[in-house]
This record gives sequence, structure tokens and C-alpha cells, in this order.
Amino acid sequence: MSLLQVQDVGVRFGGLQALQAIDLAVQEGEIFGLLGPNGAGKTTLFNVVSGLTAASSGSVRWRGAAIDGLSSHRIARLGIARTFQNLRLFNSLSCLENVLVGMHQHGRQPPLAALLQMPTFRRRESQLRQQALELLSLFGLESAAHQNAANLSYGDRRRLEMARALASRPQLLLLDEPAAGMNPSEKDDLKNLIRRVRDEFALTVLIIEHHVPLMLGLCDRLAVLNFGQRIALGNPDQVRRDPAVIEAYLGGTP
Amino acid sequence: METGLLVQMLLGSLLGLSVYLPLRCGQLSLATPGFYAIGGTVAALLSTRVPALGISDATYPLTSVMLEMLLAALLTGVLALGLGRVVLRLRGIYLAIATIALVEILRVVTLNLEFTGGALGIFGIPQPFSGPEGYAALTFVVLAVVCWLCDRLEKTRPGRAMAAIRDDELAAASQGINTADTKLMAFVLSALVAGVTGVVAAHFLNSWNAKLGNFDASITTLAFVVFGGSRTWLGPVFGGLLLTALPELLRPVGDLRLIVFGAVILVGPLFFPQGLITPELFQTLRRRMGRSAAPSPQGGRP
Ligand SMILES: Nc1ncnc2c1ncn2[C@@H]1O[C@H](COP(=O)(O)OP(=O)(O)OP(=O)(O)O)[C@@H](O)[C@H]1O
Ligand SMILES: [Mg+2]
Repeated sequence: MSLLQVQDVGVRFGGLQALQAIDLAVQEGEIFGLLGPNGAGKTTLFNVVSGLTAASSGSVRWRGAAIDGLSSHRIARLGIARTFQNLRLFNSLSCLENVLVGMHQHGRQPPLAALLQMPTFRRRESQLRQQALELLSLFGLESAAHQNAANLSYGDRRRLEMARALASRPQLLLLDEPAAGMNPSEKDDLKNLIRRVRDEFALTVLIIEHHVPLMLGLCDRLAVLNFGQRIALGNPDQVRRDPAVIEAYLGGTP
Repeated sequence: METGLLVQMLLGSLLGLSVYLPLRCGQLSLATPGFYAIGGTVAALLSTRVPALGISDATYPLTSVMLEMLLAALLTGVLALGLGRVVLRLRGIYLAIATIALVEILRVVTLNLEFTGGALGIFGIPQPFSGPEGYAALTFVVLAVVCWLCDRLEKTRPGRAMAAIRDDELAAASQGINTADTKLMAFVLSALVAGVTGVVAAHFLNSWNAKLGNFDASITTLAFVVFGGSRTWLGPVFGGLLLTALPELLRPVGDLRLIVFGAVILVGPLFFPQGLITPELFQTLRRRMGRSAAPSPQGGRP
């Protein structure tokens, strides 16, 4: 059974058909890429999966069970975490607090213990902080732990969003243009980091990125969207050679 | 300073905290005076109409005041739970307008009900203390408890969730936070604080009428938080203390005092858009003190 299955999904915004009859199946453990020109509907597909946008037709299945119609916090609790193309950090909170918010579902404590700061509460809280710091250092942000998220550089904010998403210990991680605004060497590091994170956290990754060489090098399989339709699907070699892709997206550079 | 003024200042802080709680998760609710009025009415009715509570005693028993607080908290809590589910679907200024409307409806209803004393209100509310000192002590204890609760809230998971919702509700939901429930919790806590404050105020003021929960009160209590700051509980406490005291302290200036008061409320947010008291202020203070005591270990951060 596929981890995530998108079946015949369509999304309509007024007169605009942002997605049309999209079929995808993401297998456990793979890094699955979404390519496509601007406005192709990639982010819209992420929004449907994470419960922010309702599909006008079709359904989304998580381990075989339909999840469309669930609110976004319910979907997050199933183990689907995401980052945002236009960065949505908690800007008045520190980096550490951002990651702690990401741990929300695992941080529940008995109210009385929290109120009275009982030893069990303190132990658990410092455990969570320790885990948050470890995540931050995985992304090279340990020295910025107590800095406000708003004060970070653009690349660091992208990394913090990834750290926050990982904090919920998801099974599926949706990355919306994680390399945007990064320089070539940062992009390279990111590629390795995504692989490493996938292995260490036993993750499945669904990633949107415009940088084609990075995507072809990173993804196990890719789908290409254009004008809301899936025009190609396959491994990097197949996608690279697909005439529809060359025509629509790669502009003739195989 | 007069002890009576001190009591009013402490009550102001409590109302400031009541406005602060929803605001800490980004919800501009102006319903505080409504729940305050309910709390006061509960206290006024119970203490004057239920002889068993001890109206004929020489001093009204403190345990009866506690019982009133409990009942007021119960009533305002249940009301807030029901109303919050509906009004919290609104956002920003629409929520503010809806809550102002709630307060107005409540005021008009109280004004026209027989058993709440109509326009005149309820008089002769019995006194648990012989002087204002007792009230100062009681209000201080209530304020201390609420401050402690707010402090614990801010430093734990629900408080972090509230701050996340304030910063970006959609992103908060994407972290698995049930935003509707979190906002509802803040709204209910806000109502509880206002209701309990109303009980203390009713005894302190000795009489209670519908005017105490009006639109003016909504704006004044909001000013406490805007002026003091809505990022930590110390902000509304400070704002409530200062802005309640200011008109009294300015009495020597005569009629000018209202203008000066208005100017302070205007100028405060202009120069301190986050309010006077912010977490950054504490960081700065801590760093300053750290630097004078010992070289700061993380001093050279760019
Ligand atoms: N909430 C919305 N309401 C109306 N139209 C929308 C909405 N969200 C997206 N669209 C439109 O749907 C289309 C697909 O948008 P989407 O953001 O999914 O594209 P994308 O593939 O992520 O593009 P990019 O690479 O620029 O991020 C665009 O034409 C966009 O303007
Ligand atoms: Mg996009």
C-alpha cells in the first residue's frame, strides 16, 4: 500500500482549474519530487494534502484511509509535516521556541504537573528542549537558538522551517521550495541534508523545487505538473527524456 | 496613596489580564466588561438576596465571597464556552465588534430586568471588610494567583501554542495545534478572570449597576493592554496599575487631566508599539545587569 495516494484530485478556484485529475502514489521511504513551471499547481497540491485547501474533486489517502476533509491540525497529527514556500515562521518566537511549537503533539503534560513544576514535568521539558537543540544543530542553527526567528538570514529561516517540521517526528515531510534563495553551495549542502534526514528519521519526502539538476540528483521519482495537469511521472532518467517535459519545462535541455 | 485607589488599580490590572489572555493568541476580544458585569451581578444578587450567605452578620463572611467567586466563575466560564464557539470564528476587527455587541446586549438586558435592579442597580452590597485595606489584600491575592497562572501558561505548551497562533494561525494549525480549542481556552480563562474580578469589585463598590459593563469599559481595559504590552502578563498588570492611577494622580491639573490622560494613551503606543513591557526589555535588562556583574558569555553576538 502506498503511504500517500492522490486520486483524481481536482482543485478549482473560481474560473481557474489549478489542478486537474491528478493521480500520484508516494511509496514509503522515497524522495518524491514535484517539478513544474510557475503556477503549475504544485503548492496547491501540497495545500490539498496538508488540509489547507479542499479538493473540488477526487480524494487523498493516507495509508489507504481517506483524509480529505480533515482539518490541517488533524492531518499534521497523522504524521504529515510541511514547510511553506513563502516562509511562515513564528516571528516573535525564538528559534528554539519555533521548534518546541513543532513538537506540540509530543509535549503534552498533565496540567497539574505543569502548574506546580513537578520534577516529572521539568525532566520532560528539559528533554524536549534538548531534542529541539539537537534538531537546531542538525541544521546549523544551534548558535541562533535564542535569537528571534525574524532576525535570521533567508537561508537560515528556510532551514529553521525544516527543523520545525521535523520536530513533529513526521512520517511524510512536504518541502515547498526549500532551496529558494540559497546559493549553489548551500543548495548542495541541502541536498545532502535532505538525504541524511530521510535516512536518520526514516522519512518519506515529497519535495517541490525549481532547481532541476538538484531535483534530478536527489529524487527517486518525480512527477511533472503543467497547467494543473500531470504531464510526466517516473524516475529521473525517464523524466529527463520525456518529450512532454522537455517541451513544457526543461526548454529543450535534456 | 489612598488605599481605595490601590484597590482600583489592582482591579484594573486584573481586567487588563482578562483582555490580555485572548490577545496573547491574537484574538481581539472586548468582552471583558461583559463578564465583569456578570460577575458583579452574581455577587450583588447572591449577597443581598440569599440570607444564608450572611448579609445580617456584622461583617459579611469571606467564605461567602469565595462561594460567589466560584459561582461567578462557573457561570462566566459556561457562558464563554458557548459564546466563544460562535464568536471566535470571527477574526480581527470583526471579533472585536461582535464582542462589543455582546457587551451591549448584556448591558441593555441587565438594564431592563427587574431582578437586577434596572437602571438603578443593586445597593447595599454587604462588606466582608471594615476598610479598604482588606480589599487591597484580597484583590492582591487574586491578582497574584492570576499572574502566577499566566506565568505558568506562558512558559508551557499551551502558552507556546497561543503565541504561535498569534504569529501565524495557519502555520500553527500545521504543527498539529488545535487552534479553535486553544483560542476557546484563552477566551474562557479571560471570562473567568473578569467574572471573579467583578465579584470583588461589587463588594468593594458597595453597589452594582449595568453601567459598569459598557463600551467605555471595553476601550479602557483594552488601553491597559495596548499601553502596557500584550507579550507578557506583566504588560497588562503594569498598564492596568498605571492607567487606573493616572486620572487620579492628575486631579490637581483639573479639567486638563482628561486631555493628558488621552495624550498618554496616544503617545505610549506611538513610541512603544509593542507596549511598555516586552520580553526584549527583560533581555536588555538582563544583559545590562550581566555585563556590569561579569563579562557576558554570549556578548559578542552580531
Ligand atoms: N487560494 C487561491 N485562490 C485563487 N487562485 C489560487 C489560489 N492559490 C493558488 N491559486 C492559483 O492557482 C494556480 C496554481 O498555483 P500554485 O501556487 O499551486 O502554483 P505553483 O506550481 O506552486 O507555482 P510556483 O512555482 O510559482 O510556486 C496559480 O495560477 C495561482 O494563481
Ligand atoms: Mg508554489
